[in-house]
Amino acid sequence: MKLRAFALMALTGFATLQPARAAQDAFQLPPYAHAYEPQTVDERGQWMEADERERQIRDSPLRIREGNLETYLRTVLCHEVGQDRCAGVRIYAMEVPMFNATMMANGAMEVWSGLLLRVRSEAELAAILGHEFAHFELRHRLNGFKNQRGTSDAMAWISVLGGISNTPVGSANLSLLGSVYRFGRDQESQADLLGLKYLANSGYPAGSASLVWQSLMAEEDASALGRKQKPKQKYTAGFFDSHPASFERAARLAQEAAKLPAGGDARAKEFQEAVAPYLPRFLTAQVKLNDFGGSEYILSNLSQRSGWTGDLLFARAELHRARATPRDLQLASQFYRDAKGAGYSNPDLDRNLGLSLLRNGQTEEGRAALSSYLTAYPDASDAKAINALLAN
Amino acid sequence: MQFNTVLRASLLACGLCASTMAIGQEKTGNKEGFSLAPGTVRIMLMRPVIQVGEQSTGGMYEPNADWTTQARENIAASLHDAQSKLGNQITSYAETASGEEPVITQYSHLFGTVADSVIEYQFFPGNRLPTKKRDKGFDWAVGPGIASLKSLEGADYALFITTRDEFGSTGRKVLQIFAAMGGVSVTSGVHTGHAGLIDLKTGELVWLNADRQMGGDVRTPEGAQKRVKQLLEGFPGKPVETAALAGK
Repeated sequence: MKLRAFALMALTGFATLQPARAAQDAFQLPPYAHAYEPQTVDERGQWMEADERERQIRDSPLRIREGNLETYLRTVLCHEVGQDRCAGVRIYAMEVPMFNATMMANGAMEVWSGLLLRVRSEAELAAILGHEFAHFELRHRLNGFKNQRGTSDAMAWISVLGGISNTPVGSANLSLLGSVYRFGRDQESQADLLGLKYLANSGYPAGSASLVWQSLMAEEDASALGRKQKPKQKYTAGFFDSHPASFERAARLAQEAAKLPAGGDARAKEFQEAVAPYLPRFLTAQVKLNDFGGSEYILSNLSQRSGWTGDLLFARAELHRARATPRDLQLASQFYRDAKGAGYSNPDLDRNLGLSLLRNGQTEEGRAALSSYLTAYPDASDAKAINALLAN
Repeated sequence: MQFNTVLRASLLACGLCASTMAIGQEKTGNKEGFSLAPGTVRIMLMRPVIQVGEQSTGGMYEPNADWTTQARENIAASLHDAQSKLGNQITSYAETASGEEPVITQYSHLFGTVADSVIEYQFFPGNRLPTKKRDKGFDWAVGPGIASLKSLEGADYALFITTRDEFGSTGRKVLQIFAAMGGVSVTSGVHTGHAGLIDLKTGELVWLNADRQMGGDVRTPEGAQKRVKQLLEGFPGKPVETAALAGK
């Protein structure tokens, strides 16, 4: 009985201790300050881990080293947050076909190719970069780590003392675990707001931040429909969600943007030009995701700005060829031919056109396309396989 | 990623985790019939993966930059000592502007994966893959491509080292005592490491030593010496002073 009383005392003790633990250490300098060195034991530890991770990203085969993509991303961030702030940041463009960007404790930012395929203007890109920068400026990694440590410490004590005193502690631990996710979502909202300020102050239209999430929701709905599922957007975040619901974010960002300067040009054209050289490979990766509805949504989005170019038509053909209903095969052949007409010149087109024609029973035309693939590209790695097909 | 840590930590916190050390686990594997040429063997020490920190009350890893730096220096120094006693010449790999960094990093990852596979599928007798039974010898490699790397030229072997230390915090230790009073087992501290040698002519793994419960406090020079001795257990072709390991 005594033990039980002690356990309860300890539990209440922890409950009151929590806020004190969460209180931030006072830092003299912001983390982006010139040649900043991390200060406390925890900050130095987080930065060291981040340095190691950055080393791996720097050397990763997924990094897009070709051309000026990383330089461009940096230019956008520097324009947005200012030279003094962006000097503490390194940006790495990674070929991962998902919508994401992440910020490490030490100022290294990863931007995934899927993000670059989806955002429609420099302003939308800047909305994301500004959000990530805000995580860095507000030391969110460090504070998140401290929050998780404090909470898991309390959970450990509750488990042990609850076990000793035979007190059920499941619900106490569950709500503590939930508090970790809530803390994370609060950090996301803070970063949204600070990022939005940077966006608006740099002359980009402040409404762009909300547009990113609106478009993402539309894509998720299209993706669900393509999979014969019911589109369902959450209005609010669930218990274990790491981020606020897109719907919440879009609404909040639009509401806050209305209070800020409206801004000028979203620089859609400049963004399009910077990403254009990488578009074919980004599209190839997207098509392979087996997400017909989502990919179609992205393609139609892209075509609204640039018209149906050869690259877009080729990707559209690939999308239909992969789904491969008789209807798709016919459409695929059509889109391949349109792509050729629009100037798509890679010989892969003839091979894929030939394959979809063959599958659709149009043998003669199919064989002709495959032959012209082999003529253009006799040393292709799959030349033997294609020859075998032709010999049948 | 962060949230997985929390979940893992909270699972640990439940106090249900038993020691991960399996009875009868083997620690060392050598390629049969292999021995180092005596004397002038040149070994390239690849950038060691060293992590030193504390284990929080709830079981989370708290990286400590100062301890890690100390361990990095101490382990490198002890390695040089140990290898020169064996008559080997050891050079630490230095990052250069050769443009080979991405490939070198990939080889480090590859080595890590191969080492994990050896530990998982050959060192645990009950878990051996049919092709990795003991009578099938010790047959692992990272591929011959490593021989063509310019930045490793001049070295005969590459030595890879990984250590991870999580020293139980005061809170963790107090928790352990309270848990023990209730008859629940809570572990405090994690000290694991492995080391392996790759033949740079063939890419073959000629020796691997792994230990899930290592001794020696890597934050001190003496502790690092002990750790390095344990890491180099069974190092090919050279006798190891087993007497010094008795107090492990």
